[in-house]
Amino acid sequence: MSREVLSSVVMPIAGEDDVVLVRRRVRDLAQAQGFDAFATAAVTTAASELARNALVHGKGGRATVRELNEDGRAGLSIQFQDQGPGIADLERALAGGYSTARSLGLGLSGARRLVDEFDIDSAPGRGTMASITKWKRLY
Amino acid sequence: MNRETRTPLKLDDAELRSRRAYFEINDEDLERLASLRAFGQTHLDDIIESFYRFILEHHESRVFFADDTSVQRVKRLQKEYFLGLFSGVLDVRYVENRLRVGATHERIGMPLRIYLGAYALYLRLLLVKLGEEYEPSLAGMHFRSVQKLVYFDMSLAVDTYIASYVETLGRHQAAIRELSTPCIRVYDRVLLLPLVGTIDTQRAQQIMETVLVRVADEQARVVIVDIAGVPVVDTKVADHLLKTTAALRLIGAESILTGISPHVARTIVQLGVDISAMYTKSRLADGIELALSIVGKRITQVAP
Repeated sequence: MSREVLSSVVMPIAGEDDVVLVRRRVRDLAQAQGFDAFATAAVTTAASELARNALVHGKGGRATVRELNEDGRAGLSIQFQDQGPGIADLERALAGGYSTARSLGLGLSGARRLVDEFDIDSAPGRGTMASITKWKRLY
Repeated sequence: MNRETRTPLKLDDAELRSRRAYFEINDEDLERLASLRAFGQTHLDDIIESFYRFILEHHESRVFFADDTSVQRVKRLQKEYFLGLFSGVLDVRYVENRLRVGATHERIGMPLRIYLGAYALYLRLLLVKLGEEYEPSLAGMHFRSVQKLVYFDMSLAVDTYIASYVETLGRHQAAIRELSTPCIRVYDRVLLLPLVGTIDTQRAQQIMETVLVRVADEQARVVIVDIAGVPVVDTKVADHLLKTTAALRLIGAESILTGISPHVARTIVQLGVDISAMYTKSRLADGIELALSIVGKRITQVAP
């Protein structure tokens, strides 16, 4: 299996408008790659959650949006990097229903359920790197 | 600060240093420019006269100079600008002065291309004078220093234009936000809130305030929130909707959520958001029917 990166764009996340721009780009690319409406909504929403996390908890950062191709199958991957305080209890944050910002606390756990591949790396003082990948359905 | 001197930009020492480095303006350049001050003084009137002859010959630039008095006034300012090139000083005050010049031109509505064209004209006029006065290799070195500073000034001018456009854009966004939260009375004590576009924190707060005030004013019992026009419903949007529902309940009104598309429904479930606190209906028409039943009314078929 070979995974090919067709395009890669780095976008800053410094304000709420940037969150909107990131998810608009993700939605446009998903549609351009021929994702169905469910997959498009899923990857767009997951990107929205993680972009907002980078903004609210990570004090801003950047998103790298990549179009992928794996043996003819189209995919989309978005990597979020912030320089925030990091997540102290990653397990608890991923379990859902836990929030440090008086919100629903479902962002991370929800985003994970919406995509095909989910990867997160965080520790106090190191910031957070989260990466999601969604593949176009074959059937 | 009055309107005349207001600039939307600030450049601190560190930024100034890095910009200077990028334009490769070193102390040698500044010394060279300072040594050209006498040259600048000598040709000042000549260059400024040629400059305005050109500007007044061209319709697109002439329109910005109403009458002879204003031409005389800007000529005086232009001379100050011109001599500033040969001050040999490039500090925060210099930058502030240049930013102010840019902001003034932006404010009178001069397009950036006209403004940049004038800088190019400056360089052409200076090149001719330098060529007349100095032997070619020296003229070339002098010109290079002048060019660096003029391009530096141009970058500041472009920045003031962009900053001003961004500011305008922000004002328009605020205006659109205000316009985009209509709260419609569909029947006695029944309100409809059609949401369109992105719901960010600011807008969510404004929506909640608008609808709470309207519900209190009209003593409404039901608010139908239609989200057919909201492209992405993430946990933040869901959170806002739930908080609005809770606040509405406190003042005695129910909320009905309508316009949920199949893929939004599935996304909400996958996110794990529980919106059972709200009544939900897929279509707006069903929402209206439910709202009417809550206020004790019913839509019935009448004989034709």
